[in-house]
Amino acid sequence: MTAKRTILTGIFLLVIVLGLFPILAMIAASLHADGRWTFDSYQGLLTSRREWALLRHSFVLAASVSLLTALFGVPLGILFGKTDFPMRRFFTIAFTVPLMIPPYITAIGWADFLGANGLFAKLCGEAAAGAAYNLLFGFTGCLFVLFSTFLPVVILLTMTSLKSVHPRLEDAGRLVTGWPGVLRRITVPLILPSILFGIILVFLLTIGEFGVPNFLRYDVFVLESFVQFSAFYNFGAATAAVLPLALFTVLALLIEWVFLRERFHEVQTVPEKAASPVIELGGCRTGSFVWTAVFCLTVVALPLTVLVGRSFSVSVYASALAVASDSLLRSLVYAVLGASLLSLVGFFMGYLVGRQALPFWRTADTLTIFLFALPSAVIGIGLISLWNRPLTNFIYGSSTMIIIGYLVKYAALTSRITASTLSMIPQSMEDAGELAGLGWMRRIGWIVAPMARKGLLGGWLVGYVFCLRDLETTMIIYPPGHETLPVRIMTLMANSPPERIAALCVVMACATVVPPALAWSLVSLKRGGRNHETH
Amino acid sequence: MKPIVVRYGIRPLACFFVLIAIPLTSLHCGKNSANEVIIYVSEDQVFSEPILNDFRRETGIPVKAVFDTEESKSTGVMNRLIAEKGNPQADVYWANEPIRAEVLKQKGIAAPYFSPAARDIPEKFKDPEGYWTGFSARVRVLIVRAALAEKPQSVLSYVDPLWNGRGVIANPLFGTTTVELAALFVLWGDDRAKTFMTGMKKNNVRISTSNGESADFVASGQSDFSLVDSDDAVNRMRQGKSVQMIYPDQGSGEMGCMVVPNAVLLVNGAPHPAQAKKLIDYLLSKETERKLAFADCAQVPLHPSVETPPDIRAIDRLSTIPINYAEVARKVLEIQPYLKAWLGY
Repeated sequence: MTAKRTILTGIFLLVIVLGLFPILAMIAASLHADGRWTFDSYQGLLTSRREWALLRHSFVLAASVSLLTALFGVPLGILFGKTDFPMRRFFTIAFTVPLMIPPYITAIGWADFLGANGLFAKLCGEAAAGAAYNLLFGFTGCLFVLFSTFLPVVILLTMTSLKSVHPRLEDAGRLVTGWPGVLRRITVPLILPSILFGIILVFLLTIGEFGVPNFLRYDVFVLESFVQFSAFYNFGAATAAVLPLALFTVLALLIEWVFLRERFHEVQTVPEKAASPVIELGGCRTGSFVWTAVFCLTVVALPLTVLVGRSFSVSVYASALAVASDSLLRSLVYAVLGASLLSLVGFFMGYLVGRQALPFWRTADTLTIFLFALPSAVIGIGLISLWNRPLTNFIYGSSTMIIIGYLVKYAALTSRITASTLSMIPQSMEDAGELAGLGWMRRIGWIVAPMARKGLLGGWLVGYVFCLRDLETTMIIYPPGHETLPVRIMTLMANSPPERIAALCVVMACATVVPPALAWSLVSLKRGGRNHETH
Repeated sequence: MKPIVVRYGIRPLACFFVLIAIPLTSLHCGKNSANEVIIYVSEDQVFSEPILNDFRRETGIPVKAVFDTEESKSTGVMNRLIAEKGNPQADVYWANEPIRAEVLKQKGIAAPYFSPAARDIPEKFKDPEGYWTGFSARVRVLIVRAALAEKPQSVLSYVDPLWNGRGVIANPLFGTTTVELAALFVLWGDDRAKTFMTGMKKNNVRISTSNGESADFVASGQSDFSLVDSDDAVNRMRQGKSVQMIYPDQGSGEMGCMVVPNAVLLVNGAPHPAQAKKLIDYLLSKETERKLAFADCAQVPLHPSVETPPDIRAIDRLSTIPINYAEVARKVLEIQPYLKAWLGY
């Protein structure tokens, strides 16, 4: 009991020190000016019409993206996770690609496609291209790019949660009605908490997103905080300007608490070998395949193909790698380290939350989600305020800062993935280990971790992808000479040849997609081999 | 269950710890050494990095740099310098305009250094107390559609009814547009400058997010003219766009155009002051100015008799607005609330 309490409390304290202290330091700084405590920074908040308009923009954009991802993501998740849809594994990976690369790369791809010299102008004429280009730069473009980026969140959560629906319930339902009725009355209501969690996640990700609205010139509230940083150099006002977004985050978490939490943890335990019934699409198979393929080509393949097309030359890639190979290597190393530490911290945080192991489990969960949803600029400046001191210079001056940034920002992801995985591992397994005289650490090492290995691997891959694509946090805290590839692409974007930027975007996309795809293939191969041995 | 326990056990966890512990300790291998220089750069990386590489090659001093991004309106590293004031990490700051340098001087983040390499640079481009020194300038110019029969020749075209709804200007809260407007407030006084701003609004001027976007609007024919930096205009001309660059207000008795030099400063409490001074000297040299003139940023050298490409006018052939950068820096901060209100923020 002591080991469990010590380790879980230690990990929780680590997240508090690394994540919460910088934010508290920022808030304290915003309340302290000229040697006295003051609310000056907060007095002007939300007093102008523009601030309300920006808040409305942020809310409408986030709500629209969430709604659209739910409308498309749930059917696609069911299609890929529950039916005999052809090439469903391929499509699952394909739709996940935009989530794996920085969203601004997708935006660049679309801007290239619809630009004056782009493919669309050649196909449809300059007038049509001009109209489409104008449509891209604004609400519509932001909605579309962020929709394609966050669509896989809902697809994957739907697919994962479908596995937790006990086949017996669906089999019973099919005795009295067909698949549409079973889906409507049994399956979807059972996975609704996961779907709603996905919607909330997309909402929070969209509302904190700065890169895409900035590139596509759509004013959102994050911009307000940014203006305070960049035009007024006023850290206090910038912190204050984040307050409304923080309130949105808290509100979203409250909704989750009130409506979803209890149901989320009531997930059925499904035996691993229990075969989930598959919906046969029959005559709809071809039609749904064509529709999905066209949709995938439009949303996923087109912007990336445009980038590949623009950079299609060996010399362009050679020059791109000549200026950015060191950044690429650094990115890969930091992402591997970040993902590994995230898996470790996320595992114990996830255990704390998933098993409700200590009284403060809810606080721990809220804290990680809150840090995930906070704008990166605030986290970055907070980390600088906390760590840039002579005593801690050995940390601040090294790449450890980048890893700390990853831990603070993305602990929620690996924590939630672990919590979700643990919900499928019966508590009785641990109880049996305890009866057999195993201590907590041994139970974790010999029972829980091995049984949760797929979830751990999934968490590691998610951590890897998010660390590798991270831009906003890294950009603020990276030590001199340690820039990562996403940062380098951004700093090179001003006045660099577009072909070189396109090539770097393609390299970035490959670096993000290839390792997880290889890991997926290896696991599949191993699983296939084992099944073969069994048969 | 049994095979799982036997196959995976606790050993992989231990290996995992070891695997992440080794590279974690190696992260500190990249920590700062004594013989190096750390520079924060607001000038575009594509132009500044080759200069820094040349410095490293010629002196053998390693350079570690943090570059700014367009996304942060080139103010990211400045915010970082302010945040790091208590424990400075950078030795040198290369600003892409002198107002940031002046603000840093006022915040106590700059240290005085009179570089011998800047002896020939005119005094008006240097801080008299040595806190920053200007070099290689951009000029604020009008980019106009080449097809126009009659072309705007003055900043005042923005308030001329002839150009109603045909001009575009970058968001005045950021960058060189703020600097130019602040300079006009200083030159004309608040009342006349505010009348000018109101006139621009009445004349339906379009607001873009950046000078680059303004130049694109003109190049694509969506607007007729815009006040931009000379590098934006030269860049579009070299891309073959149908635009021309006009140096505004060059006639007799007119105010002239505004010159925006780069500025370099020594950071107060710099960890490597000796190397920092060498780098500053290098940046302020004639050779660096020549390289920046021939690069795509097409910057105007401030040293006399530095070779330039034909599409760049030498500094002594330009009529320029007389500017006290310290005064303009103060004005920039003073007029921000007015500009915010003017934009309807």
